[in-house]
Amino acid sequence: MTFNEQELVKGCKQRNRIAQKQLYDVFGGKLFAICMRYTKNRADAEDVLQDAFIKIYENIDSFRADSPLEYWLRSVVVNTALNHLRQQKYLKELDDIDIHHNGLSDREFTLGNFQMQQLMEMIRELPPGCQTIFNLYAIEGYQHNEIAQMLGISEGTSKSQYSRARMLLQQKLNKEKRFDDGSVQHKQF
Amino acid sequence: MMDPSNINNFEEQWRKALKEASEAPPPSVWEGIEARLDGEQEKVTPLWWQSPKMWYAAASIAALLLVGGGLWYSGGQKDKVEVAVSTKPVQKAETEPAKSVEEQPNAVQGQDKEELAATVEQGPIAATGSEPTRSDLKGGIAGNSNTGIAAAARTNARGKQNEQHADNISSAASIIQERPASNNQDVIASKTEPANGTVEVSVENSNAAVAAVQNQATSAEMLASLPYNDLDVYVQKRHVFFRPEVRIEEPVKTTKPKEYYAGIGIMPASFNPNVKLREAPQAFMAQSVSQKRSVSGTSEARASYAVQTQGGVRLSKHWSVETGVSYLRGNSAYEGGGYVLNAYNSAASNVLENALAANNPALSDKAAGFNNGALYIDVAKKVSNNYQYLQLPVQAGFTLNPDKKFSYSVLGGMMANFFLVNELESASGDIIRTTASDEIYRGTNWAATTGLRLNYKLSANWGANLTGSYQKAVSSSFKSNQSLDSRPYLYGVSWSVRYSF
Repeated sequence: MTFNEQELVKGCKQRNRIAQKQLYDVFGGKLFAICMRYTKNRADAEDVLQDAFIKIYENIDSFRADSPLEYWLRSVVVNTALNHLRQQKYLKELDDIDIHHNGLSDREFTLGNFQMQQLMEMIRELPPGCQTIFNLYAIEGYQHNEIAQMLGISEGTSKSQYSRARMLLQQKLNKEKRFDDGSVQHKQF
Repeated sequence: MMDPSNINNFEEQWRKALKEASEAPPPSVWEGIEARLDGEQEKVTPLWWQSPKMWYAAASIAALLLVGGGLWYSGGQKDKVEVAVSTKPVQKAETEPAKSVEEQPNAVQGQDKEELAATVEQGPIAATGSEPTRSDLKGGIAGNSNTGIAAAARTNARGKQNEQHADNISSAASIIQERPASNNQDVIASKTEPANGTVEVSVENSNAAVAAVQNQATSAEMLASLPYNDLDVYVQKRHVFFRPEVRIEEPVKTTKPKEYYAGIGIMPASFNPNVKLREAPQAFMAQSVSQKRSVSGTSEARASYAVQTQGGVRLSKHWSVETGVSYLRGNSAYEGGGYVLNAYNSAASNVLENALAANNPALSDKAAGFNNGALYIDVAKKVSNNYQYLQLPVQAGFTLNPDKKFSYSVLGGMMANFFLVNELESASGDIIRTTASDEIYRGTNWAATTGLRLNYKLSANWGANLTGSYQKAVSSSFKSNQSLDSRPYLYGVSWSVRYSF
C-alpha cells in the first residue's frame, strides 16, 4: 500500500468526504469496469458501483493494511455485484450444462486485436450464470470450488457453466473474425 | 499482433485484457453516493437524544405536564360539573347514534349526527304538535316542560330497553322540574347548540349530570350560569425537547488563607560580636616588647534588642515568605590582651588603630622607635563594643497546623545586616564611634537565620507571635584588611503582633 493509499484509507476511516471522493476518483474507474462485467446494463452497473462504494465507506474500518487496498475494494465490488445478481434472480437457475470441451488450443489464442469495450460487451451478452462464473473464474481467478461456495451451486455446475461461457465467447470471437490465425476449432462440435 | 511470448491460455488472455480495465463512471454515481452518505449522516441523532436517561427525563416531564395539566383542568372545572361529566361520553356518542337510528323507526336513515341530535330533540317538540326548524328549537324546547323533554329523550334515544336509564332521566326531570321555567329554558337551549350529536349525549348522560347537580344542591341561578359548548377534541402531540443543562461541578473554593501579613515586634536578644584577632599572634611573637607570649580576646554578650517590622506573603497552605526591616542594637563587651598593629604592613591604618595609637602616644612612639613600626595595642580591659545594624531578613516559613488558633512555623533564611555604627569604649574610657564610612566594618554583612515561631490567632486578622531566633553571620563584619575578625551571632525571642489582609 502506498503512502497515498494509507492517507486515503485514514481519511475514509475518519469519514472525511474529501478522502472518500479521492478514493472514488482513484478506484472508481476500475471498479466500475468490474460492475459493467457483472451486470447486464449500464444502469445496473451504476447501481452496483454506488452500493459497493457505500459498503466500502461503511466498512473501511475492517480493511487491514496488510492486504492491497485494491484487492479489498475489488472483492467488495464483486460481492456487491453477486448480491445484486441474486436479487435480480439471475443466479437462481444455474444448472449443469452438458457441454463438451471445444478443444480450443490455448497456445494459439490471443485477444490482442480486440478492444476492451468489445470484450466487455461479449461478456455482458452471456447468459447471466455464464457471465458471472466466467468473471469469477477467468478474470477474478477464483477456483470452481470457491465459486460453488460463493454462489451456492455445485462445483460441476460452475464448471459446466464456465465451459458454456467459454464456448459462447469463442463463438463471438469467431464471429468477429478478428483472430490472428485460423486455428479456431469451434466447428468441431 | 501480440508478442508470441505473451500468448497464453484463454483465461489469461481475458484476464490481461480485462483485469485492469477501467471505465469512468458517470458523475451521477458519485452524486448518488454522496447523497446517501449525507442521508446517513443526517440519520445520526445526537448522543443525548439516544441516551435513555434523556428519554426518562422527557417522559417524566411529559408525565408531570399531563398530571399537572389534568389537575389544572379539573380544578378549573369544579364549578362546571355538567360540562365535566358530559364530556366523558363523547366517544360513545359516535356509536350511539346508529343504535338510536335502529331503535327509532321514525328516525331518518343516513342522517348525520347533528341531524340525529336534532331528531332526538324534536321528539318532545313533535308531541306539542309543532314542527320547529333548528333555529326554532330553543324556543320550542323552552316552551315545553322538562318532563316532556326528558321523556322524549328517553323514548327516542334509548327506547324502552333501558328502563334504569329512563328512571334516572325521570328523576332528573323531576329535579329539573323544580327549577323556574325561564332558567331551564337557557339550560336546555344551550344543550341543543352543540354539533356532533352531543345533544344526545347530554341527554344520555343526564343521569350523571343530575347526580352531580343533586350533590351540589343546585340553585336556579347556578344552573343558569352553566351553559356549555362541547369543544372538538384535538389530540395534541407534545414534543418535549429536553437538553439538560450541563453543570460543571466547580471545585469547592476553600476560603483562601490571608495572602499578606504585616507585623511589628520587639526582640530582646543576646548579641555577641564574636571578635577575634586574626593575625596578631605571629606578629606579636616577633616582638619582644610585650611580656605576653600570646594575645587573646573574648567578646561577651550583653543585653541587646531589635525592633522589627515584617511583611510576608502566604504562598500556600503551609509555606510563606517574609521580609522586613529591623533595627538591631547589639550591645556587647570585649575583653582581651590587645593586639599588634604593624605600621609597615600593607594594610592602611584605620581610624580605630589611629585612635588607639593616639590614646597611647608613648606606646606609639616607642613602637615607631624600636618596634619596627609595629604597635601593640593593649586592650586588656573590658570595653563595651556596641553595634548597630539595620537588618533586612528574607525568610521562608513552614507552618504547621495552619489556620488554627495555635500554629507553629519553622523559619529559615538569610539576613543582610547593614552596618550603621559601632561605639567602642576605648581603654581610656573614650567612646570611639565608628561608622560604615570609616572603612573598618563591612557595609553589608550576611547572616544565616533560623527560628521557631508560635502563632496565636487573636481574631480573623490579628495575631500574636512569639519567635525564637538565632542569627549567625556567615562573613566577617570587618573588612578583610583588618587584623580583627568578627562573626556576630544572636539569640533572641521576639514578640510581635501581626495583621493579616
